[in-house]
Amino acid sequence: MLEQFWAWIEMQPLSARIGESAWFPFLESVHVLSAMFVVGTVLMADLRLLGWSALRHPVTVITDEIVPWTWGAFVIATLTGVGLFITRASAYVANPAFLAKVVLLLLAGANMLVLHFVALRTGRARLQMTTGACSLLVWAGVVLAGRWIGHLS
Amino acid sequence: MHDLVVYLLSNVPGLPPIVQTVHLLGIAVIMSSVVLLDLRILGLALPSQDVQELTRRVMPWVWWTLPVMLLSGSMFVFARPRRYFTNPVFGLKFALLLPAIALAAVLHFVSVRKPDDWRTKLVAGLSLLLWVGVVLAGRWIAYADYLFPEE
Repeated sequence: MLEQFWAWIEMQPLSARIGESAWFPFLESVHVLSAMFVVGTVLMADLRLLGWSALRHPVTVITDEIVPWTWGAFVIATLTGVGLFITRASAYVANPAFLAKVVLLLLAGANMLVLHFVALRTGRARLQMTTGACSLLVWAGVVLAGRWIGHLS
Repeated sequence: MHDLVVYLLSNVPGLPPIVQTVHLLGIAVIMSSVVLLDLRILGLALPSQDVQELTRRVMPWVWWTLPVMLLSGSMFVFARPRRYFTNPVFGLKFALLLPAIALAAVLHFVSVRKPDDWRTKLVAGLSLLLWVGVVLAGRWIAYADYLFPEE
């Protein structure tokens, strides 16, 4: 059932148009640019959470000012990522690196929920540091897994 | 050097994606240092952070990251020099990269004294466009055959 769904996605005209044209490398290059903007801005917030940088600014000032940029870039990275995915959906869902990337992205999301709804609201410094450290590791893992996808396909 | 790099990349499990990830994380640092500073100077981001303080905070990251980028990138160039040195997109990347680095130095050491000057904003705008171009061109190196099928 699900396999048929991935195959159906691949057969859509849009998937073929992207997969057989310069749209694929174009979307891929924009994906790299926007994804690294996401990781860079997250890194900046993480270093503040860990207390390693920007100490003259309160944590919430750094996060509040950076988050809109992170989300904006994340939306672009997701749209371009979906555009790449639909060209060979069945192959990607069977690709261990792709699956690892999805799991790591979910972990990054869970970590962010803990940061925003628990660590920042309660102002617990230790928990903020922990979420910052987890974020650094998980996002590095997302990049590694993402880059690895192409080596397995 | 060529033989050593080829040996390492083909025999150490996972080394190619790991080295590429180091290179990619370097891009992330460039994005959140000089590119974010460009956006700040243009009045688009980080409104409460002072340009001069931000410049002194983020620009050292650029100078530490560039050698890491050079090392991680040159592993692949050493491994397959022909793929790169005859590649017009590789040439384009460096044609954008060198002025981007020069403008980063201008931002760090010259413009920082006059953050509101129109010339600073011009430098920031150019710097932003150049870095975006460098990253896009970098990814397109692998697709040079697609762009120039006859070569």
